[in-house]
Amino acid sequence: MSTTRLQEVLICFGKQKQTGIATANTGAEMWRFGKLNAALANPKLSTENDAEEFGKGHEFPTQSFQTSWDVNGTLEKYLGAEIAAWAMAFGLGKVVKSGTTPNFTYTCTPLMPANGDAAELPYFSFVEQIRPGAGVVLDRMAVGCVVEGWTISIGSGPGRANSKITVEFAGSGKVIEPSMIAMPAATLEKLLPSASLALTINGVNYVSNKNIVSLETSWKNNVRMDAGFYPGSGFQTAGDATSGAIRGRLEFGNRQGTLRFTARFENGSTELTKLKNQTTGTAVLSLTYDANNSLEITWQKVSFATAEVGETDGIVTVAVECLPMYDVTNGIVSAVAKCGVDNICQ
Amino acid sequence: MSERDTVWLRPPWGEGEPKEVEATPAVLVPLLVAGWSQCAPPKPEVKEDVHD
Repeated sequence: MSTTRLQEVLICFGKQKQTGIATANTGAEMWRFGKLNAALANPKLSTENDAEEFGKGHEFPTQSFQTSWDVNGTLEKYLGAEIAAWAMAFGLGKVVKSGTTPNFTYTCTPLMPANGDAAELPYFSFVEQIRPGAGVVLDRMAVGCVVEGWTISIGSGPGRANSKITVEFAGSGKVIEPSMIAMPAATLEKLLPSASLALTINGVNYVSNKNIVSLETSWKNNVRMDAGFYPGSGFQTAGDATSGAIRGRLEFGNRQGTLRFTARFENGSTELTKLKNQTTGTAVLSLTYDANNSLEITWQKVSFATAEVGETDGIVTVAVECLPMYDVTNGIVSAVAKCGVDNICQ
Repeated sequence: MSERDTVWLRPPWGEGEPKEVEATPAVLVPLLVAGWSQCAPPKPEVKEDVHD
């Protein structure tokens, strides 16, 4: 018997958004990436049984029922211009595409229902395959997935691991097996390394003063998973009420942004003063491959929620947790992602 | 001199006329936050030929 090793797993997912939660992406709308984490996006079937029902004469189950389906997964990757553009567009939800090849620019902001935007996030399909075809081990497509959140981590050091992105996603539960998708060629990625960072927070340029040690920023949609199951939301097999319910919508809940960083603390460092004074300002971080491939994230108004002096490798540092706040003109966060790939989230 | 990069946006709630704006974050972000969304450029008005 041949052994199947996880290095064989291939993934692709919707570069473009689905036209609706139940309409899968076509192969032409997808792109393929490698990833760092081993976890698979396993569909989970919830079942119930009749053990607690009266009228059987005993307490044991006699039947089980397929009730609902769930899919979720995580993508861990070295940060590149393409995956950054995808995560910002699908994660924040609102996107304007401008530019032409090779410099497409995606300006992304969170959806604002109070101003007429949808509460549903853009949907994509996610495919996992191991030896698709005659010797198939795994070949399935989760339909109707949304980005639950992303985290970008920037660290000190020479390796690629010092600039990473983690994307969590959640699905409607709809799964197509086999996927019927011909795996596209791998996407050529333009990495956005830690050494390219530019960072200004609350008026301080932490790169020019050579003080930044590490940084993490994230966005979480807190998707209302249970609200996806509503009367009429549908079944795994359309029209078959025994096949288990799937979600008919995935709406964001109370969204949260975070920004925390560690910087060297020295004479003249202003973090503790700014904490005491609750000084507010923008936080702008950018990472660049070249003029056509970059990511710039702007937290429009932050104050410092905590600032603790400690040490990193024997050097005195300050760990700061920022509080991203809503600016009346520019909202809470915006991302400008540039890459050479057309039609992301279109 | 390069051509100005612009996009078309439709107003919040889909009410009103689309407008063409410069595709810079300084211009786009406040509009997106206010509910404007990207749309296709309007089709040029075609006048019927009055001469048979």
